[in-house]
Amino acid sequence: MTRRISFSAVFGAVLIALLFGCSAVSQTPSVPPKHPEDLPQGRVDCLECHKDVSTGALKPYASVRHSRVFIDSHGTYARQGQNLCASCHAPAFCQTCHARKDEMKPDTKMGDRPDRRAPHRGDYLITHRIDGRLDPGSCFRCHGNKNDSRCKQCHK
Amino acid sequence: MGRPTTVISPGKRLLPAVVAIALLLPLLFVGTAPAADLSLSSKTYLRYYERELAGGNKDTFAPLYEYLSADATNLGGMPVAFHFYGWGRVDLSDPSGSGKESGDLGSAYLEYLHPQGNAQMKLGRFFLTEGAAMETLDGAFVKATTPLGLGVSVYGGAPVEQSILNGTRVGSSLYGGRVFFVEAGYAEIGASYLKESGTFQEGKDRELVGGDLWLRVGGPVELSGQATYNRSVREMASQRYAVRIVPGATFDISAGYESYTYKGLFQSTLNPAFVFPAFDNDDKVRTIFGIVDWTFVPGWTLEVAGKNIRHDKSDPGDANRGEAGLRYSYNDKKDVAGFSAAFVAADREENEYREYRGFATYSPPKIRLALDALTQQYKREIYGKKKAYQVVASAGYQVLAALQLSGDLTYTQSPNYTKDYAGLLRATLELGTTTGGKK
Repeated sequence: MTRRISFSAVFGAVLIALLFGCSAVSQTPSVPPKHPEDLPQGRVDCLECHKDVSTGALKPYASVRHSRVFIDSHGTYARQGQNLCASCHAPAFCQTCHARKDEMKPDTKMGDRPDRRAPHRGDYLITHRIDGRLDPGSCFRCHGNKNDSRCKQCHK
Repeated sequence: MGRPTTVISPGKRLLPAVVAIALLLPLLFVGTAPAADLSLSSKTYLRYYERELAGGNKDTFAPLYEYLSADATNLGGMPVAFHFYGWGRVDLSDPSGSGKESGDLGSAYLEYLHPQGNAQMKLGRFFLTEGAAMETLDGAFVKATTPLGLGVSVYGGAPVEQSILNGTRVGSSLYGGRVFFVEAGYAEIGASYLKESGTFQEGKDRELVGGDLWLRVGGPVELSGQATYNRSVREMASQRYAVRIVPGATFDISAGYESYTYKGLFQSTLNPAFVFPAFDNDDKVRTIFGIVDWTFVPGWTLEVAGKNIRHDKSDPGDANRGEAGLRYSYNDKKDVAGFSAAFVAADREENEYREYRGFATYSPPKIRLALDALTQQYKREIYGKKKAYQVVASAGYQVLAALQLSGDLTYTQSPNYTKDYAGLLRATLELGTTTGGKK
């Protein structure tokens, strides 16, 4: 218990020191809150126009090229910041899939967009028996890992 | 385990206040606002399907869904924005869920984006991914980077349990933060902490410590890592490490290692689905994965992915999943056609299946047509069947520049359904006062 309190206190102290000790905010221009031009349909490739390092993610634009590799690992990038994402995607975009209370499957909502990598195509009530057994960690990226309540609905 | 699970989420208790504050706060800027950029997106879906009941009767379902999102940016000529997202359902026939109505407020928050250093602040209900956190909360979030590249983010508030069920366990408060160092174009390394007060695993608070790393080691080669430690049960929750090579706009390859423990990643003691013998709480999953995305000719992209999944426990056992797909984009990238084949080969026969999928879209002016077909073949029979099929046909028409109407017809044959037809009508309205950006 003491260790836990001391850990929290140390962590809090570091945060406060960083917040108030380093009073100046970087003068590097932020990524624009909105992409200035209309974007084409389909998978976006930032490299068609951009070549440098993004001012938002502070990563090369090649890293956020929307390839299958990026789409499968976008969470790694999102956990370091979403400014660049938010420049082109509306805030609600994430919650199309990461909406744990949502009742409609993403592929049902996007039946007109088979090109999108929407999970749960087909009769997923059947397939989840296999995918859920073999790699349950993949379920929790959208359904949450706190109460597992989506599972509980049937697995009582 | 002795505590009853029926509690009211603090998020729900605070919901009226959050909605009121979030909706009223933007009004503060009305008097001073020379302009604001507004956008509104409304997606209305009417589904229709039937389900057979025991005894030969049928239930007919016609749920009507409305998904609404609105964004007001540049409020008062300042880098302040208000974002809203929510959905609701009303059943026009038999109840399709718990009751004939449901809905959720996904987000409603005020956001300040500082012009320098990517500093930002959020206030209200929002979805947050930051280090170890992937949460929806009613609260505040602040992030700033110093000229040295050191940065900090902190957040706190009431957790919103985004559960499809009411009365599931949720904590009373949630807070955390992340410290990080970033060197533009070369490195970002962070350490994070999250604590949710409540009675979770072993009667303790939910407490996570995380680390994340992105490093460009040279040329097009980058390394990334992400690890989360569950302090409540003193278990490594999850780890993911990957090397990625992105030499340009046509080739992208990544390989890596991922692992997680049931006890560390899931709040498993709360969920009977993960209690022995259904699942063994002591199981650990280790995965080696590889993905290739190669545009070998303009418009043609090859996607190949493979995954080796190893469990500590013989049930469910180990498995390999492989997938190969080809995509062709045409009509100025507005349309895509693709084909993919995937297989799962596993230690246990009941975990093996193959999947084939083909799709195509066609978008002449004002029209959108799409066809998607999928079949799955299971190694072992499920409810006496080894195959499943689904075909989705969609047609849409751009009635106005801002309004599109479309409809889908879905046919499914599977172990669950002998012959199932489902329909969906969709109205998409996109209004905005400026061009650019949001999609």
